[in-house]
Amino acid sequence: MRMLLIDRRAWQEGLKRAAGQYGLIGPVKEKEFHSFRPLKPGEMPDLAFQNSRLSPKHVVYPQTEPMFAYTLDETREDRHLLKEVRREIPPRAVVGIRPCDAKAFVLVRLNFDTPDVQDPYWLRAYEATTFIGMGCNAPCSSCFCTTAGCGPFHEEGLDLLLADLGEAFAAKVLTPKGEAFARAAGWTAEAPAGAQSAFQERARAAEGRITSFVQTEHLKSIPVNDLYNASFWEEVSFSCINCGTCTYSCPTCWCFDIQDETRGKSGVRLRLWDSCMYPLFTLHGSGHNPRGTKLHRVRQRFMHKLKYFVEKYDRGIQCVGCGRCVRLCPVNIDIRRVCNMMNGFAVSGEACAIP
Amino acid sequence: MEHMGIEPGRLQFSWISSAESTKFVTVAAQVTEAVRALGPNTRFIKPLAEVA
Amino acid sequence: MTSTTEILRETAARLLSTGAVEMVIGFRQGTVPMMNEPCFVRKPAEAGLLVWDSHCGINLANYVTDRKEKKIGIVAKGCDSRNLVTHILENKIRREQLVVIGVPCRGMADKRKIAMKCPGEILRVHETETAITAEGEGFTRTFEKADVLQHNCSLCIHRNPVIHDELAGEPVEEQQGVDRYADVRAVEAMSPEQRWKYFEDLLAPCIRCYACRNACPLCYCPTCFVDESRPQWVGKGQDPVDVRTFHFLRAYHCAGRCTDCGACERACPVGINMRLFTKKLEKDCLELFGWEAGLSLEVRPALDHYRPNDPNDFIR
Repeated sequence: MRMLLIDRRAWQEGLKRAAGQYGLIGPVKEKEFHSFRPLKPGEMPDLAFQNSRLSPKHVVYPQTEPMFAYTLDETREDRHLLKEVRREIPPRAVVGIRPCDAKAFVLVRLNFDTPDVQDPYWLRAYEATTFIGMGCNAPCSSCFCTTAGCGPFHEEGLDLLLADLGEAFAAKVLTPKGEAFARAAGWTAEAPAGAQSAFQERARAAEGRITSFVQTEHLKSIPVNDLYNASFWEEVSFSCINCGTCTYSCPTCWCFDIQDETRGKSGVRLRLWDSCMYPLFTLHGSGHNPRGTKLHRVRQRFMHKLKYFVEKYDRGIQCVGCGRCVRLCPVNIDIRRVCNMMNGFAVSGEACAIP
Repeated sequence: MEHMGIEPGRLQFSWISSAESTKFVTVAAQVTEAVRALGPNTRFIKPLAEVA
Repeated sequence: MTSTTEILRETAARLLSTGAVEMVIGFRQGTVPMMNEPCFVRKPAEAGLLVWDSHCGINLANYVTDRKEKKIGIVAKGCDSRNLVTHILENKIRREQLVVIGVPCRGMADKRKIAMKCPGEILRVHETETAITAEGEGFTRTFEKADVLQHNCSLCIHRNPVIHDELAGEPVEEQQGVDRYADVRAVEAMSPEQRWKYFEDLLAPCIRCYACRNACPLCYCPTCFVDESRPQWVGKGQDPVDVRTFHFLRAYHCAGRCTDCGACERACPVGINMRLFTKKLEKDCLELFGWEAGLSLEVRPALDHYRPNDPNDFIR
C-alpha cells in the first residue's frame, strides 16, 4: 500500500487544487465546537480538534431530505405525479474525518445497502464522497474505539488515512478513490521509510492512549430474552429524558421518519431524522404503542446497538466508540457502563452488581 | 411576539362579540390599514422544503 | 462540618429504613467530569450512591411527574422545590406523596463556561466550598465558583427550598439587588429587524433533539404540540420557521410556570440559550401580574384564573 508524504505547503496547495474537482467538506470551528461543513473557497479544514460535536453523518444523510415533489395545480402538465427530487451530488471529499466516523458509515451501509433493498438517496451520496481520514494522535478520554471494533488509526471506510507527523502528514492510500484524490491534489511524493515508521509509531502510540474500554465478548452468546428481561433496565432507564441527543449525535444511528409538507397546491415528501427515544416513534395508527414506556425505549436502544445488531450482522456492535453520546447525554447515561452490564449479565435471576 | 421581532402593530388583539358588528367593521378596517402601512410580511414565512 | 452529600446519604438511609419512603430520587456520581446522573435508591444500603456537588443542575422534579408510589423522597434545591409546588398545583403529584429533602443551594457550575476557559480536554474536576479546579493533560485551572455559575444561578433569588420535609444543610442567604432581566432588556432595546436576526442566530444550531423540552419538569404533555400530526402544527425538520416556532411556543406554554431552573440550557447538546424566550415571559408575568411561579401551595397561578382587574390594555 502506498504511503505519501505531504508537507504543510503541499497540504494547502493540494486542497486548493483538489477543490477544482471535489466539493470539500471539513471541520470548521463554530462558537465553542467543531462541525463538518462545506469549506468556502480557500478555507482550510480546522484540524485542531479531537472530534466534531455532532457526527458527520449529515454529509451523506442530511437531517431533512426531500424525496419527492408533487403538485395538484391543474394547469401544470406534471400535476398529480410524484416526481423524484434528484439532488445533484457532484464528487466531494470529507477532509479530516476521524476513523471512527468513517467506519460508522460502513456499519450504516449494512442497513441501507442490502441484497433486497438499496436506499438510493443514501447510496448516491455515499458513493460520491471520498473520505480523507485523520488519525487521532490525542484521543478523548471518553473514546473507546479500540474495544468497539475500531481504533484511532482504523482504516475501514477511509480512502486516505493521514497521520500528523508535525512538519508533514504521512498519507496511506487505501482505495482507488483515495488515489484519485491524491492525484487531483497533486500529492505525489512517496513517503520515505522514516515517515512510514513514524506513521506506525503514531498509530501505536494513539492506541496506547485510549483509556476507556468496553467488554463485548459475551454479547453474542447471552440469550436475547434473558438480556431483555434483565432487572437492571429500570435503573438504567430511570434518568433518561427521552430526548434525541444520543441518536442525533451518533454516527451509527440511522432511523428516520417520512413526512409530507404542503403549501397551497404543492407538496414535498421529506425524509427526516427520527429517534427511537421519542414516545411517538413506534406509535401505531391503531393507537397501540409497543414501546410506550421509557424503559421499553431505552432498553430497545441498547439492545439494538449491542445485541440485535451483533446477532444480525456478525460485525460486532453497532457502535464505533466515538464517545459523543457519553459526552452529550444531558443526564450522563453511559453506554460503556450499560455495555459492561449487559456483557457481564449472568443468568441468575438477579441483576449483576451495579458498578 | 414583538420581543422576537414581529413589527409592532402587525399583530393585534380585540374582543368583539358577534353582536358588535359596527365595531368589527371599524377594527377590521383599522387593522388592515395599519398592517398595510407596515408593508408585506417577511417573518414566519415558511417556504416549501427545498427541492434542489 | 458534615457535607451535603453526607447529610443526604444519612437522610435517605433513615427514610428508607423507617419505611417513610419507598424510594429516594437524587443524583449519583457521573462517569464523565462535571456530570451527575439522576438515580433512585430503594434500599438503605444503596443510600451511599447519592452525591451532591456543583454539577447537580438537572431538575429532579422532572422525575416525579405522574408517579404512583405512595411515598417518594426527592432531593430538591430552591428551583426544583418551586417546580414541585407547581406540579402539586397542576395535579401531577400529590403533596402527601412527597418527602422533600430540600438542599439550600449556592448555584450550579456551568460546565461549558469552565470548558471554554481550559486549553484542552478536562479529565478531572474537584471542588472546595468556594472554588472548582479542572485538570487536564498539562494544565490545571482553578475558578471561583461565583465566576463559573450557570447563568440562571447567578441571578437566582430563591436559593432555599420553598417547601421541604427535611433540610440537607443550613439555609443560605438569598442574593439581594439582583438584576434578573438585563439580557431581556438588551433585546427589548433592539429594533424589530435586529431582534429577528438575533433570535435567528440564537437558534441556528438547533437539531430538534428536544433535550430542552424533556429536561423541563413543566413539559409533561402526553403529545407535545410539535409531535402532533393530525393536524401537523409544526414541521419536524430544520426549517428555521419551524425551529423558532417550537422554541417560542414552548416558552409560551411555560409562561407563568417557569422557575428558571436552567435545566433546558444545561441539557442542550449544542449550547443554545433558550432561556431568552422564557425570561421575557417571566418578566412580563412579574410586571403585569406580580407573579412568580412555584412559591406557594396556597395561591393559584396568575395565568390559571381570571381576575377582573387583569391587565388588558393590549386589547383594543
